[in-house]
Amino acid sequence: MTGIRGIKIFSAVASAMTLLAGQASASDALVDAKWLQDNLSNPKVRVFEVSVDTGVYERGHIPGAAHLDWHTDLVDPQKRDIASREAFEKVLRDAGVDKDTTIVLYGDNNNWFAAWGAWVFEVYGLGSQVRLLDGGRKLWEAQGLPLDTAVPDHADSTLTLAERDNSVRARFVDVVAVAEGKHDIKLVDIRSADEYEGKIFAPEGVKELSVRAGHIPGAVNVPWGRIVNEDGTFKSADEIRAIYAEKGVDGSTPVITYCRIGERSSHTWFALKKILGYDVRNYDGSWTEYGNAVGVPVNNIAGTIWTGK
Amino acid sequence: MSPIAARLLCLSVLVLVLAWSIWLAQDAGGRALSFSLVAGAAFGIVLQRGRFCFLCNLRDFVEERDASGVIAVLVALAAGIVLYQAVLGAWVPVPQPDRLPPNAHVGPVGPVLAAAAFTFGLGMAVSGSCLSAHLYRLGEGAFGSIAALLGAAAGFLIGFSTWNRLYTLTVFDDPPIWLPGIAGYAGATLAGLLVLGSIAWLVLRSARPAPKSEPHAASPYEAIFVRRWPPVVTGLLVAAIGAFAYLRVAPLGVTAELGSLVRTGGLSLGLVPETLVGLDTVRGCVSAVKAALLSPNGLFVAGMVLASFAAALAAGRFRPSWPGLSGLAARFAGGVLMGWGAMTGLGCTVGVLLSGIQAGAVSGWVFLVFCTLGAVLGLAARRRILRAG
Repeated sequence: MTGIRGIKIFSAVASAMTLLAGQASASDALVDAKWLQDNLSNPKVRVFEVSVDTGVYERGHIPGAAHLDWHTDLVDPQKRDIASREAFEKVLRDAGVDKDTTIVLYGDNNNWFAAWGAWVFEVYGLGSQVRLLDGGRKLWEAQGLPLDTAVPDHADSTLTLAERDNSVRARFVDVVAVAEGKHDIKLVDIRSADEYEGKIFAPEGVKELSVRAGHIPGAVNVPWGRIVNEDGTFKSADEIRAIYAEKGVDGSTPVITYCRIGERSSHTWFALKKILGYDVRNYDGSWTEYGNAVGVPVNNIAGTIWTGK
Repeated sequence: MSPIAARLLCLSVLVLVLAWSIWLAQDAGGRALSFSLVAGAAFGIVLQRGRFCFLCNLRDFVEERDASGVIAVLVALAAGIVLYQAVLGAWVPVPQPDRLPPNAHVGPVGPVLAAAAFTFGLGMAVSGSCLSAHLYRLGEGAFGSIAALLGAAAGFLIGFSTWNRLYTLTVFDDPPIWLPGIAGYAGATLAGLLVLGSIAWLVLRSARPAPKSEPHAASPYEAIFVRRWPPVVTGLLVAAIGAFAYLRVAPLGVTAELGSLVRTGGLSLGLVPETLVGLDTVRGCVSAVKAALLSPNGLFVAGMVLASFAAALAAGRFRPSWPGLSGLAARFAGGVLMGWGAMTGLGCTVGVLLSGIQAGAVSGWVFLVFCTLGAVLGLAARRRILRAG
């Protein structure tokens, strides 16, 4: 018995050491595939896949990863809002997440929805525990790393979530105030240049559109893809800093990011807030809220007129 | 074609399919495409070698009291139900009515599905085969099947133009009923096997003993490459390919690519409504607008036709043939009915009947009942017309 216990203690110490060593090598906000592989059996690490394509998680996920369903677990399924505190707390308790758990998120579609997840965790006060797998699912698959179909069953935790921290979330009124020039806040529109300029109402293949094209006055356009490498990983902090500095976003004033529904802008929010450490809020209402609102200022460079088609 | 030449050509086709699949599997995105191509090839070989065709199997039984084909279908369904459990149980450990297994073909159940299945059954009887069999027949050199596929494309166009009205009429409200969600995995499996077992018992009871047509026992070569595979073997292989395909890429289906091609082409010609309401929210072989040249379903069908061609060559069953004008017209007309049925019913005998029943979907059973009804009536009408003629 003592022998077995001894091995257990030894392995717990060893995994704790791996965790510390890994953290030291990876950036605070990001982990790489190597680090994650070394920590897959670390009991203090919980991995979540946030993929939007159906069947992706079930057909094979990073071994031990649990599934966070973007449509039900991270949002309120009734009203347009992020998940309620009670619902989110239950999901995390079921997954065995605790105050000292390192939470690693990854997903398909360039980690957009994983980044949205990271932002929701931040709103509920767990931001310091969250890491994003750099490159997401795409890079893990490209490297031919193992996938598993088993669904983990962890012992429930007794985690209690904090109330929402609205310092990382911008609401409609905040953004309107910025558009009207009442605050010195930088708006970053991360959509494509065509959407920003008002040539198109929504990206190809997207049904929900806004009845006005263009962008929020004062916003600068930095499409999300500018800050990622070919393989989907984030560019270095210095490169990202330079890309934004060029557009006048240098962290000296607070920033608000937005896109169409708030998920791609979470990706940029993550880079600015978690990698560069700027004061950033994500506006999850984004253009599908603002571009449909009555009486708010809009900058439509292309002048495209909505004709109901 | 001399047997040696046929065998060499057969080998070359298979090597081509394999080389293509290896080339496709170079990157992460291509692995699903590669798997689909190989799975399609396996499916094509099994269909050709086992003569696994829903209509011919049914006709053999109805007209000749030969049960072997129907038994192959029943075995495919029963074994498929069992093999699917391995996947479903891993993906949805606790089945619930409102949590459908990802991508499984659990379609909306209602009068529209029944009408679509009935029309599809009628269409198979008129055109002489269901859509999957037309595809493998194409590999056997039955070029008349092209008329059936063109007819199916026309039927899809009609289906797209009636979809929005049918959707708002009832489909929006038709529930996708998943049996394990109601009765649990054990209950749903037992019920499914019981029903299939009862059908098999009824079929075998009224079947005639198989005629002793083979004068000598087959050599191993003949048994594999020339003679029709035994029904149980064929059924088991169809079930296995279905379950593995579901695990890796998607449930089996042969109409999604055809539907996508027609929808994309029809859209650019202004023949298809811009919006097909609710089509993204229902399960089955859904025709998406084409976004990439190669799709898993397109490669599955390509693999099927190519491998069936190879298998037919080896068996000495590749016989290029063109039916007469009336034969072409019948194939086309039947194709139109099948196309409308497959678009409206969200799949065919493979996508809804096979993949649906295997996954525990009530929609699969409804398709089985109404498609059989349509086919039996169609066959009877055809016999009467032929006799009168």
